[in-house]
Amino acid sequence: MNLLSVMPGDSFLHRLNPVTKLAAAFLYGIGCILCDSIAMEVVFILLMLLISASAGLLPRALALTRRLLVLGLFMFVIQLLFVRTGAPLLSLGGVTLVTTGGLRSALLLSLRVVATMLPLMLFFAVTQMNDLCNALVKRLHLPYRYAFIITTAFRFVPLFSSEFAEIQDAQRARGVDFETKNLVRKVKLVAPLCVPLLVSSLKKVNSSAISAELRGFEMRGRESGYKEYPFGKNDALALALLVLMVALCAALL
Amino acid sequence: MISIDNVTFRYQNQRGDEAALKNVSLTVEDGEFLGVIGTSGAGKTTLALAMCGVVPHEFKGDFYGAVLVDGEDTVEHAPSHFARKVGEVFQDIDSQMVASVVEDEILFGMENFGLPHEEIGARLDRVLREMGIEALRERSIASLSGGQKQKVAIAATLALEPRILVLDEPTGELDPESSREIFALLRRLCEEKGITVVIVEQKIKLLCEYAKRLIVLERGEMRFDGAPREVIAHVDTFKSLGINIPPVAELSAILREGGAYAGDVALTLPEAERMAREAMA
Repeated sequence: MNLLSVMPGDSFLHRLNPVTKLAAAFLYGIGCILCDSIAMEVVFILLMLLISASAGLLPRALALTRRLLVLGLFMFVIQLLFVRTGAPLLSLGGVTLVTTGGLRSALLLSLRVVATMLPLMLFFAVTQMNDLCNALVKRLHLPYRYAFIITTAFRFVPLFSSEFAEIQDAQRARGVDFETKNLVRKVKLVAPLCVPLLVSSLKKVNSSAISAELRGFEMRGRESGYKEYPFGKNDALALALLVLMVALCAALL
Repeated sequence: MISIDNVTFRYQNQRGDEAALKNVSLTVEDGEFLGVIGTSGAGKTTLALAMCGVVPHEFKGDFYGAVLVDGEDTVEHAPSHFARKVGEVFQDIDSQMVASVVEDEILFGMENFGLPHEEIGARLDRVLREMGIEALRERSIASLSGGQKQKVAIAATLALEPRILVLDEPTGELDPESSREIFALLRRLCEEKGITVVIVEQKIKLLCEYAKRLIVLERGEMRFDGAPREVIAHVDTFKSLGINIPPVAELSAILREGGAYAGDVALTLPEAERMAREAMA
C-alpha cells in the first residue's frame, strides 16, 4: 500500500478546501504538541482514527499508525534511557536504568509523535497535490512557482517509491534476496540501489521541468486556474473546531 | 515552418567524438506530415528536441548551425518562447507528466496559457473525446497503463492547439488499433487544420501510410529524405541498417529485381494485390 497516494472519495474530509485540510492537519498537530497528558494523546489518536473511518480511510490510518508506532518505539527507548527525572523504577547492579519520569516522558513523546504525524499523513490521502497547489495560489496568493515546487516535491515521493520498487524487482529477478532479517545485510543490499534511483529520479525531474516549460509554466498567473476553490461553511466549521481544540490544549498547559 | 540549417550537435557528456546530429539540413513546411525513422542512436530524439529548442538549451553540448521556427532562432530564445507554437510529446511518457490526475494533466498547459474558462472546458472535453479517454478523466495517472498514459500525453499537447506537433514515438506502448487511430487523428489535424506534424516512429508501416514525407537518420546523418514510396524503395539499405520495412515493400523489391514487376514499390495491401496481379499477368 502506498501510504502517500490519494484515496478518492466524497466524504466531509474530501470535500474540504485543500487549504483548510492543510491548516486543519497542522492545527491538530499543534494541539497534540501542546497537550501534556498521555491519556489525551491516546484520545487524539483514537479521534483521528474515528475521523479517518468517517472518510473511509480506516485501513490506511491503521497502517500509518502501525508504522508511526515503530518510529514512536524508537523515541520511547531513547527517552526511557536518557530522561532521569522522577523516582527509580528499574535498577541493575546499583545503576538506575529507568525512572518514573523517564517512563512518562517516553510514553508521552512516542504517543505525541503518532498523534501529530497521523493527521499530516492522512492529509495526503484526501488531497490532490494539484488542488493544493492551485488553492494555495488562488486562496493564499502564494506565488505559483513556489506552490508548484512544494506540491511537486510531495507528488514525486510516491513516484520515487514505485521507481525504487521497480529497481528492487529488477534485482530480485537477478536473484538478489532482499527478504533478510539481518539489518546490516539488508542495508548492504539496498544501498547500491540508491545510485540508479538517484540517476533515474534526476532524469525524471529534469524531463518533468522541461515538459512544464514547454507547456507554458512561465506564463502562469494567479487567476489562470480552471477550477475554483471557495471556502464554505464546512471549512469554517472545521477550522473553528480545531482552533478551539488548540486553545483548550494551550489553556490546559 | 521549421528550418534546420546544417545542424551538428554533440552532447556534453557523450562518450567518444561522435555527434548526435551531423550537418543535418531540413525544411518542414506548414501543414506537412513528416515521419522520422532510423535505428536506435541515429539522432531521432535529438532532432525532435532541437525543433523546440530543448536542444541545446536543456541538454548542454556543442551546437552548430541553426534551427528556425517561423523564422525565430531556437538558440536565441528559451524553449518556453515556442510553447504556443510547438507542442512536444516525449518518448518517456512518465517523465513528462506534471499532475497526478488525467484531467489536471490536460488542464495544466491551458491554465498556464490563461485561456478563458469556457474555452478550457470545451477543449478539455474535445481532446478527451478525440483520444477516446473520457472514462479516464478522474483517474490517477499512476493507475494508467503505458498506452493510456501516451493518449493522455498526446491529449495534453493537442489541447494547446499548437501549430507544430513534434511527437517522439507517441504510439510505442499502444496496440495496433489505437496506434492507427492516433495516426488517423494526426493526419486529420494536418489536413483539416493545417497543423505541421513531425513524428518519430518505429512503426514504419503506419508512417508509410499516413506521412507525406519520410526522413531516415543514420548515426546522426540524414540518409534519405522524400516521399515514403521513394524512401522505402531503398530496400537493401534498410536491410543493411537493420530497419524493418513493410513486407509488401520487400516483396515488390524482390519482384522488381526478378523482372516480374516494374511498377512503384507497394506500401499497402491493395497495392500489393495490384502488384501481384501485374506480376502474374
